[in-house]
Amino acid sequence: MTMVRTLISRLAPLLACLGLLGIWQVAALVLNTDSFPTALEALRAVPSILGDKESLINIGASLRRMAIAFSFALVVSIPLGLMMGRSRLVASFFNPLLMITYPVPKAALMPIIMLWLGVGDIAKMLVIFLGVSLPVIYHSLQGAKAVEEKMLWSGAAMGLSAPQRMIRIVLPAALPEILTGCRTGLVLALITMVTSEMIARQSGAGNILFNSLDMGQYDTVYAMIIIIGAMGIGIDAAFEKLRARLVRWSEPGFDIPLSFA
Amino acid sequence: MNARGLTTDVLLGIVPIALAVALWQAISSFGYAPVTLLPPPGLVFARLAQQLLTGTFQQAIGVTLFRLFAGFSIAVVLGVGFGLAAAASPAVNAVVRPVVRVLAPLPKVALYPALLLLLGFGHESKITLVAADALFPILLSTYYGASMVEQKLIWSAMAAGTPRRQIMFKVVLPAAVPSILTGCRIGLVISCIVVFLAEMITSTEGLGHLLVTAARTFQAVDMFVPLITISLLGLILNGLLQGLRAWLLRGFPEV
Amino acid sequence: MIEIDRVSQTFQTFGRKSHLALSQISLTIEDGAFVAILGPSGCGKSTLLYIVGGFVSPTEGVARMKGKPIAGPGPDRGPVFQEFALFPWKTVLGNVMYGPRQQGVKSAEAEAQSRQLIEMVGLKGFEDFYPKELSGGMKQRVALARTLAYHPAVLLMDEPFGALDAHTRTRLQNDLLNIWERDRKTVLFVTHSVDEAVFLSDKVVVMTRAPGRIKEIVDINLPRPRRRADLLLDPRYQKYVVEIERMIDDTSEDGLRP
Repeated sequence: MTMVRTLISRLAPLLACLGLLGIWQVAALVLNTDSFPTALEALRAVPSILGDKESLINIGASLRRMAIAFSFALVVSIPLGLMMGRSRLVASFFNPLLMITYPVPKAALMPIIMLWLGVGDIAKMLVIFLGVSLPVIYHSLQGAKAVEEKMLWSGAAMGLSAPQRMIRIVLPAALPEILTGCRTGLVLALITMVTSEMIARQSGAGNILFNSLDMGQYDTVYAMIIIIGAMGIGIDAAFEKLRARLVRWSEPGFDIPLSFA
Repeated sequence: MNARGLTTDVLLGIVPIALAVALWQAISSFGYAPVTLLPPPGLVFARLAQQLLTGTFQQAIGVTLFRLFAGFSIAVVLGVGFGLAAAASPAVNAVVRPVVRVLAPLPKVALYPALLLLLGFGHESKITLVAADALFPILLSTYYGASMVEQKLIWSAMAAGTPRRQIMFKVVLPAAVPSILTGCRIGLVISCIVVFLAEMITSTEGLGHLLVTAARTFQAVDMFVPLITISLLGLILNGLLQGLRAWLLRGFPEV
Repeated sequence: MIEIDRVSQTFQTFGRKSHLALSQISLTIEDGAFVAILGPSGCGKSTLLYIVGGFVSPTEGVARMKGKPIAGPGPDRGPVFQEFALFPWKTVLGNVMYGPRQQGVKSAEAEAQSRQLIEMVGLKGFEDFYPKELSGGMKQRVALARTLAYHPAVLLMDEPFGALDAHTRTRLQNDLLNIWERDRKTVLFVTHSVDEAVFLSDKVVVMTRAPGRIKEIVDINLPRPRRRADLLLDPRYQKYVVEIERMIDDTSEDGLRP
């Protein structure tokens, strides 16, 4: 009985997917409008998008931009967050600045950034960079803050200098929280990427999405949604596996997978 | 944190903002950036003040706020409802949990074209998108808060005679309020962001629309104004929520 | 009043291992008796209390209250927990009034009764404080007042003074006895402290290590009211403590024999 239970719980997300697709299918058949193709029709359009060389290049370029911007963001944000977590001074300095930029949708900066930097890759990567930085800084800060004082004292007694303590104690201790921030940042990177492509229509997945909307190719619209959705779920699942591997030693925390637009 | 510590923090915090504005002013004054690309702060804030007095701008704010609140409220009702239900009933949990796991990492903004097709280009599509995005953090933090309620609290209430069906509302819900409010805070920020972006992508009114219109006519000043407005709105709403939180949680130990 | 009839409790731990926490416990507790349940950590004494409280169902056997099997928690058996378990969103007064209000007592009357109780446990003036503003000892007094407020026939106390410092503990022990003397409720008091058990109770139930079994029941024939200063010097008290401590030492070894 327990074996069946574990099997079901492992398959649950898959069942949920199928369930949702099923509901879509039924709803579409019931509503029966052109603008709402059934799940099957949308699924059928997926291979044609993936098969189209142009689209693939587009999507690939999007992902590449996302990866580069994400990495840069990590390199800057994690140290900053850690320092903010351990030093009241640093925290007070940067906090209000971050609080002000928090509600600003980074993708909304696209037009302004485009004005300054043109429509190239740099503009898009900057936006993604900005969007990812915030959650990563926040979580790194929280993680660093929560490191037990006594651990650091033990390290100091062993002769570790302040920078050494930061790298060899604070960083690993805060790693679970940092990775939670990265996971959020990753989801955000994808969203920011898609959104900025919807706003600054140039290339990429978001662009394909709205182009097909304009041209009335409804099947493609929904197919693209499925593709983007699959990307999101896939990236998140892959990262979660990586995260679990890296912090095997930590207490199971509860992370709220946030999604920012 | 004592009073003195608070003021030093505030002063210290103003420094980077002041520096940023000063930097902004310097760049404009020294002509490093043409006025068409980066208008000086004075000009932007003057324009903002001026716009706040015009009916059209106020209406735009109204539209954006309306969509924001409508979407957020729906997200709160559904999020708290489902979160509590999932915490209370393993059956509901078994269904909700995998669905949330699947939908949460999905960029909801990708659904926007579908919403436009189904609900039109007016308020409904924006409100739905806001609700869809704000729902998950609220649902998850409600579920988390409700399921982490100390068992002994529930037992104490049961021993005092509280019937099972009242436990949810008399014990679990109040005990989960801190967690729920944290989720609401995140949801509120998300709502601000999403409504603005949705209006930028396609809309005929609202703050986001104003930004895009200004962009099309290369009016840099008019681009900054809605952006700063939504930031300020976000800050104000966040502050209000924090105030509400402080009042509701006056009995709870510091978290 | 309370009858525990061949109660056993098995827990499923992670994986497929099962843990026998209590084994064939049979015990009768008379009306008005102050009974201490004493044993080393992990002997299942808290579990036994939770079973009587109706929070946990025994895997075998049955516990009865006044002849009727215990099916769930209720205001006839009031718990006082080590973690206090106060409602943080209510003031002291709000917490104490909770039980009576739940019983349908009118607000004004409930408030009057509660204020009396709060005064009795020594917290007059703190009615409008929130639990977070109170010390551990004060919180435990509120917890006691809250349970007494709905007039349970039995008080179930689960190591209530375990989280407090030694000084507060002795004070609360005294206060508890003073309060108990007034209406002599039946009390089941779980503890791992031998001197606390002997000081407070009429009967000490000594339990073995897991799987918990009753090793011995010791009647404490010491006069009431009990004063700490007198008792500490009383050779009878000292004998009880030494005897029971020896029993506990033994039980820590023979818990595994079937």
